[in-house]
Amino acid sequence: MIQCRGLGKDFKHYQKAGGFAGSLRQLVRRDYQLRSAVTNFDLEIERGEMVGLLGPNGAGKTTLMKMFSGIIVPSRGECSVHGHIPFQREQVFRKKIALVMGQKSQLWWDIPAMDSFLLLQKYYEIDDRDFKKRLAELSALLGVERQMQVHVRKLSLGERMKMELMACLLHRPEVLFLDEPTIGLDIVAQRSIRDFIAQYQVQHKTTVILTSHYMADVEALCQRIVLVLGGEKRFDGPIGEFSSILGLEKFVTIAFGEAITSDADTYFQDFDPHWNEARTRVDLRISEADVRRRGMEIFERFPVIEFSMEKLPIERVMNELLVNPHLLKRAVT
Amino acid sequence: MLKTIKRYWGVYTRFLSTCFAAASTYRLHFLLLIIMDQLFYFSMLGSVDFLYNHVSKIGPWNRNEFMFFIAFILAVDHLHMSFVSESFWEFAFDIRTGRLDFVLLRPLNTIFSVFARQIRPATLINFVTPWGFLIYYGRQMQLDLVSWVSLFPMVLFSLVLLTSIEILVSMLMFWTVEAMGINFLRIQVQSLSRWPEFIYRGFANKLFTVGFPILLVGSAPVYFLLDHGRWLWVLAAVGALVVTWGLIGVFWQKGLKAYESASS
Amino acid sequence: MSVAEIGKWAATIKISWNKLLSYKLNLLLLVIGPSVVFFFVKYSLWTAIFQLEGIEQLQGYNLPDMLKYQGWTLIVALLGQGYNSMNLAEDIRLGRISAFLVYPFGFWSFQTASFIAFECLQLFTAGITLGALFTLQIVTDLSLVALVAGLLFSILVSFFWYQTSYLIGLMAFWLEETWVLRVMFLTISQFFSGAVMPLEVYPEYLQKLLMWTPFPYLTYAPVKIFMGEYRGDIWQGAGILSFWLGVAVLLSLAVWRRGLRLYTAAGM
Repeated sequence: MIQCRGLGKDFKHYQKAGGFAGSLRQLVRRDYQLRSAVTNFDLEIERGEMVGLLGPNGAGKTTLMKMFSGIIVPSRGECSVHGHIPFQREQVFRKKIALVMGQKSQLWWDIPAMDSFLLLQKYYEIDDRDFKKRLAELSALLGVERQMQVHVRKLSLGERMKMELMACLLHRPEVLFLDEPTIGLDIVAQRSIRDFIAQYQVQHKTTVILTSHYMADVEALCQRIVLVLGGEKRFDGPIGEFSSILGLEKFVTIAFGEAITSDADTYFQDFDPHWNEARTRVDLRISEADVRRRGMEIFERFPVIEFSMEKLPIERVMNELLVNPHLLKRAVT
Repeated sequence: MLKTIKRYWGVYTRFLSTCFAAASTYRLHFLLLIIMDQLFYFSMLGSVDFLYNHVSKIGPWNRNEFMFFIAFILAVDHLHMSFVSESFWEFAFDIRTGRLDFVLLRPLNTIFSVFARQIRPATLINFVTPWGFLIYYGRQMQLDLVSWVSLFPMVLFSLVLLTSIEILVSMLMFWTVEAMGINFLRIQVQSLSRWPEFIYRGFANKLFTVGFPILLVGSAPVYFLLDHGRWLWVLAAVGALVVTWGLIGVFWQKGLKAYESASS
Repeated sequence: MSVAEIGKWAATIKISWNKLLSYKLNLLLLVIGPSVVFFFVKYSLWTAIFQLEGIEQLQGYNLPDMLKYQGWTLIVALLGQGYNSMNLAEDIRLGRISAFLVYPFGFWSFQTASFIAFECLQLFTAGITLGALFTLQIVTDLSLVALVAGLLFSILVSFFWYQTSYLIGLMAFWLEETWVLRVMFLTISQFFSGAVMPLEVYPEYLQKLLMWTPFPYLTYAPVKIFMGEYRGDIWQGAGILSFWLGVAVLLSLAVWRRGLRLYTAAGM
């Protein structure tokens, strides 16, 4: 299992003074600010869980992942991953983990993906039989058998990401860190990678920590969400609970037969309305208790042609929380 | 122990095969590397040759002795360019882009993964020039059996000492933003070692033989090869090697602690 | 050139200047360091040649003369050659030219404006170095005429180095890595330009041959001009170097046109 207590990481941010005089002064002394990327973080993840780390850019998610994988050393606190202290970087530990970063590639650019895999086989001491078997399995699942001999720099983004995944799973890690694995991919590629991760995790009971800006990834894969804002943990619980931070609300979409004038705004203003340009369609958030009554009211007063309702998407919850972080005070930690 | 050696050798053979695979896709670059090195060798040898048209001795050395030294240095440089040099540039690039993260994750000694990784197949072909001149001038000076037998080991030892000092200098990359500049610093250190110890005088001489023993790289082995009575120089170089690795051990740990991993 | 165009140049020069100053350590290590270390090696070598051997003069130089020559070589290197280390090729390889093809400010204009900022900084650096060398009495007898002539000639040299680096950088349209070409050019020119030793040390036939190449005018000529000892015709020297500069400019234009046709926006 993954465990951390009071984990913190500070970075020095050097100020670059502008102008000629500033530059000269900097020759002698560099001013810096100490900024905490992660503050007082407590977390416990059981073996085999798949957890989503959510948060805006700069929240500290990637820093956390790098501390868990031993790449950077924490400034404070304790951390252990499957019985090892990550920053001690024991070789045994390194064989148990894998990290995929959507924005950086670990494969070597100028050689076919297959050559990279062969090299990794030697690094991880995978015997030939297991290596061949896993290679065949993974490439079939990901549908990249025919791209294995292509130079990595010639692959498309989607194909490259699939190769990255393969590269990090060849040694059957116990813990998988996925940092924005679907970033920049088209919808089809995103879905196929998502399905693959879900299937793989169930099959091998790998512990997975996933960060993503695509809520579709998180909703599809994670049962549990940890929200990171400003380096602090602000929510930790089942995904269902996260949606209901804003109360038990329904996400209602209504389409109208004609444009609705702004006279109606006083009626809709309590429901966080999002209108389209033509004012013929609106998204609302209505509490579960009220939705039936309100729905009937709207049907009576307005020319409704379409009405749909669903659970509040995580996306909307996130947007709301980023604007109104005080709402998190009600959250379970 | 044997198992570990076997394992690292297995990894190294894969390094070789990936580098050969990459090199074969850039044929023009392959050719240019060969020409570049040849130009370098001939310009170094030519400079000293022209000098000796006007003097009979530089310091204690006549033409053959100095040319032997230059050829020795070029032989070390040849091995360096082939087996080590590219890795230093890759290290700078990896630190700058944060790709070092992946290197740190792999379950292998990281110093080995970093500094043994890149081989230049093109440069291997260039061994003819430096070794040709080394053997030629060795014969001109009628080296004895001991010298001939220890010639290749001495070149290797030189390479190891030079690389070790460069690894130590490269540790600085953990603390500076611009790793490229440190590489240039490393090259300047190399260029100092390409001339014999005796041309440096006073404080500079003491600094670069004792404080920062870069001059031992070329001079110590060659002094011994030319005069076996000067074996203390080689002993000093061995001592320098031990101290360097001690310092590498310390600073590598410190460096990893300071590593911030360029953010994505 | 229109007022707007001059404005673009001025803005680019200013930004490049700020950029250079914000990476001071880099500047020191990439540009100033190598020249200073090279000078130190040559200083040691020549002192050793004269003092240990006990010779008085070599091809007309005694030790102070030779050290003065090497001192001026350092100044000329700082003024002329520094821009080599700047990696133009990366922009091409990483597909960053796309932006320049869309901007209303050309790629060459941008690079040249950056170079001008760099050169201004180098004038400053060279000035300080000259002061140091003068204080250490390595360089003596400064004459205003020689200084001005040498400075102007060195600036011509810097344009030649810049344009050649630019041309080599353009090879990135075809070559994955252009640093090899750069190092080759640097090696050849260091050997043939009198950077290690004055050209008088070279065989006669070689000296005659070199007069038609740009190399002697890159180090030997400006150094001798600064020393007030240049025996040839300065205008002829400047003319030959300008000719080679012109060749570099024309080649750059041709290569740019061809390269652009082949160009695919690679990378992200």
